[in-house]
Amino acid sequence: MNRRGDIKRDIKEALGNKNLRGALTRFGEAYLESRARAYAGKDFNALREEICAIKRNAADKMEDLAQRFTRAAEARGTKVFRAATAQEAREYIANLARQKNVRQIVKSKSMASEEIHLNEHLHQLGLETVETDLGEWILQLSGQKPSHMVMPAIHMTRGEVAQVFSKEVREQLPPDIPKLVKVARQNLRRKFLEAQMGITGANIAVAETGTIVIVTNEGNGRLTTTLPPLHVAVVGLEKLVEKFSDIKPILEALPRSATAQKITSYVSMITGPTPVAYPDGTTGDKELHIVLLDNGRTQMQADPVFKEALQCIRCASCLNVCPVFQIVGGHVYGYVYTGGIGTVLTAFLNGWQNASEIQNLCLGCERCKLYCPGKIDLPRLIRELRRRTGEKAGAPSISSQVMAKVLPNRRLFHSLLRAAGIAQKPFQRGGMVRHLPLFLAGLTEGRSLPAIVSKPLRDRVAQTPKTSQIVGDNQRQGVRVGFFAGCLVDFVYPRIGEAVKELLTSAGIEMVFPMEQTCCGVPALYTGLAHTAAEAARQNITAFEHAGVDRIVTACPTCAQAIKRYPEILAGEPEWHQRATTMANQVEHVTGYLHGVFQRLAGARLKKARGTTVTYHDSCHMKGCLGLTLEPRELLGLAGYNLVELECSDRCCGFGGSYSIKFPQLSRQILDNKLDTVAGAEVGTLALDCPGCLLQISGGLTSRGSAVTVKHTVELLDL
Amino acid sequence: MNLHDHDELDRLYALFKEQAEAISALVYRVTDPSAAGKKLREIINQLAVNKLVAVPSPLVNSCLNNAGAQTAAVHTTNLRNYAPEADLGLSEVDLAVAETGTLVQDSTAPEQRLVSTLPPVHVALVQTGRLVHYLSDAIDLFNTNKDTSSLPGYISFISGPSRTADIERVLTIGVHGPEKLYVIFVDRAGGACVE
Ligand code: SF4
Ligand code: SF4
Repeated sequence: MNRRGDIKRDIKEALGNKNLRGALTRFGEAYLESRARAYAGKDFNALREEICAIKRNAADKMEDLAQRFTRAAEARGTKVFRAATAQEAREYIANLARQKNVRQIVKSKSMASEEIHLNEHLHQLGLETVETDLGEWILQLSGQKPSHMVMPAIHMTRGEVAQVFSKEVREQLPPDIPKLVKVARQNLRRKFLEAQMGITGANIAVAETGTIVIVTNEGNGRLTTTLPPLHVAVVGLEKLVEKFSDIKPILEALPRSATAQKITSYVSMITGPTPVAYPDGTTGDKELHIVLLDNGRTQMQADPVFKEALQCIRCASCLNVCPVFQIVGGHVYGYVYTGGIGTVLTAFLNGWQNASEIQNLCLGCERCKLYCPGKIDLPRLIRELRRRTGEKAGAPSISSQVMAKVLPNRRLFHSLLRAAGIAQKPFQRGGMVRHLPLFLAGLTEGRSLPAIVSKPLRDRVAQTPKTSQIVGDNQRQGVRVGFFAGCLVDFVYPRIGEAVKELLTSAGIEMVFPMEQTCCGVPALYTGLAHTAAEAARQNITAFEHAGVDRIVTACPTCAQAIKRYPEILAGEPEWHQRATTMANQVEHVTGYLHGVFQRLAGARLKKARGTTVTYHDSCHMKGCLGLTLEPRELLGLAGYNLVELECSDRCCGFGGSYSIKFPQLSRQILDNKLDTVAGAEVGTLALDCPGCLLQISGGLTSRGSAVTVKHTVELLDL
Repeated sequence: MNLHDHDELDRLYALFKEQAEAISALVYRVTDPSAAGKKLREIINQLAVNKLVAVPSPLVNSCLNNAGAQTAAVHTTNLRNYAPEADLGLSEVDLAVAETGTLVQDSTAPEQRLVSTLPPVHVALVQTGRLVHYLSDAIDLFNTNKDTSSLPGYISFISGPSRTADIERVLTIGVHGPEKLYVIFVDRAGGACVE
């Protein structure tokens, strides 16, 4: 149903829509600030722990809560209908309308009713169904689909709205927002007063009391639940919570996360039908029908991984902070639910094949995870989608076939990389090399090609004399640190590895480079090749066990994060899981490690780079996964750099796009936004801590002819 | 019922006023129903109100009596008929939440919702002693009774006038609900309600 069209065409269209992109980017920036203000004085992490526990408990007991809700609601006179499918829900509501002689229906915003395509169905039966939420009404009149869960018409300008309304009221209206809102008020007021049925959703449903909670701003929810004698609420099973007191944390977080409000204008808690007042002065009994909607949710609940998605409170923060969503908006996702959470919901509600393309939109930046009040690890769920889709589809693409073959064989993999280095123009050649699973495919447009060095780090460190000069505390401890290079540092940026070695050696720490180490496995993981990723993990675990090191450092936050996930990747193999946990506990990003070392040494030995001004880019995995933001800044400060903050320093550079996005034009647009802010900082040097970002941003700067140099933090430190 | 001592009430009132004004409500505090009536008259005159709808309560009644609102027609019955055309709706709410500037009301009677949603102006009276600090305090007050059959059928939380940002994210006050919300705190409401 409602099968999406060509996603590439949709993306092209979205990228061409400057209104949309401007609105979403501006919103993305304003959102973070106003959200922080709304949460002032509240402990977001404590709140989301509470919500996570409440929703997890509810998901565990979903069927039980549905039954308790039904009993409690019925005891108060509510009629509860359990709809297994969208069709059952639609038919129940349509029958009810027929029985009660309903001709006109008013609706307040409800994702669940959009999910079941209720309007289309009622319309076909000749029932006038009016959306009364301003944004939804605009879309209804213009025949468009919502592009955002909370702000459905964010992609339209006031001029477009004026045109739509002018047509509806047959009067030329100016693009004046207050005036347009008045027109909506007047026109919809009549509909409210005339309607025989009101349809709403609900944000929370309380099992112990049979209460539904509706959160709105415009007042349409209040009128929809008050004026018509018949109220139907369509409520997804994931809205259930056990206790009345469970409302509290959800009600604190939902408005703050959704619209950066401490509370919305109206919150209504409805328990059972209330009387209805008629214009002739009489009152009567209202009917309240609650349609508890399953439509794939039980299936989700039964899934040990995807059950987590039921913790969603539909706040849309994961859309607001997503660098991909900010650029393409919701329409590209093709279904009712958009963004990261939409990708997961679409798989369950609309079928796995329908989510197979949009799951590639996620570039794994992990940003949404930081903001989710339900504490959902969306990027993990999306990776799992990919893994399963990969298994289901059975016919992987050529590049992933090659990856599955080449990556587990380190010697083959590395000799191919060396061959590419010698050939110098690796990706214009046919055959295997073109499909190398390195993150480099598809990087040609708008960037300079990354040059694979003729002498990788593994050859260079092998040549340096092993006898490092061990001094100070570290000598007595005899600290041995293993260096995990990762493909980019090993084969493209060995200079970073050399800088690490120099720093560690001068600090009296011995650095060893286990030669058997290979790719961290991320490219395989992100393309859904779980077996290949697991093999890479096992090889790396073995290599570092042989090296007998106390700590492992890496200059790549993505590699660090991947190694931290080895226990998850090898969860099914108890012995390996144990060894993976050991390695995961040993690994650290080198900047975090050095920060600790130099703090002990009071930074005294760092040579001062007096007066040089730098700016800093927060890599997604550095900040989002490893939580390292202050450490690089403090190190640069200790080294005497004058740090100028970069605007939106933690906005993704789009590198994830080169291996997980199949849509290079998207990655390019994200990069362009980044390059604009770098230019705006007016500095000569950009520091960062991820070789992927280094590749992406320096490539972009070079092709723009910019003179800004990009350096890994370790390259800017000198002992 | 007074939930707090005087200093505490002053602090809660100040916080309520700050928070509610930040979301475009207009907040006043008066000593007794006669002063509340005076304030109401001011509003009626200032906005040139012709038709007023009100849900009766001891406080609402004495406020209306003291307003001497001869200029406006006052309706207290058949509100479903009069509220859509009224210029102002008057009602009493049960609680006020300081941290968010929120009014809380048992609005099981539909008239309560009609007068506070349909007219372009809503004037809410609230006894100062019914201020609570946190939103969760208000929810707890409804939650204390384990016998859920006593839970009101419709509890309203009202924070500021109705609003939208659906067109270009520009905040616009007054959509389907009121465009103006006045909150009048009454310290000594008289009658049996205040100890
Ligand atoms: S991980 Fe990043 S790209 Fe993926 S959905 Fe979350 S915010 Fe968007
Ligand atoms: S997944 Fe999390 S952030 Fe996204 S809508 Fe749901 S609760 Fe909000």
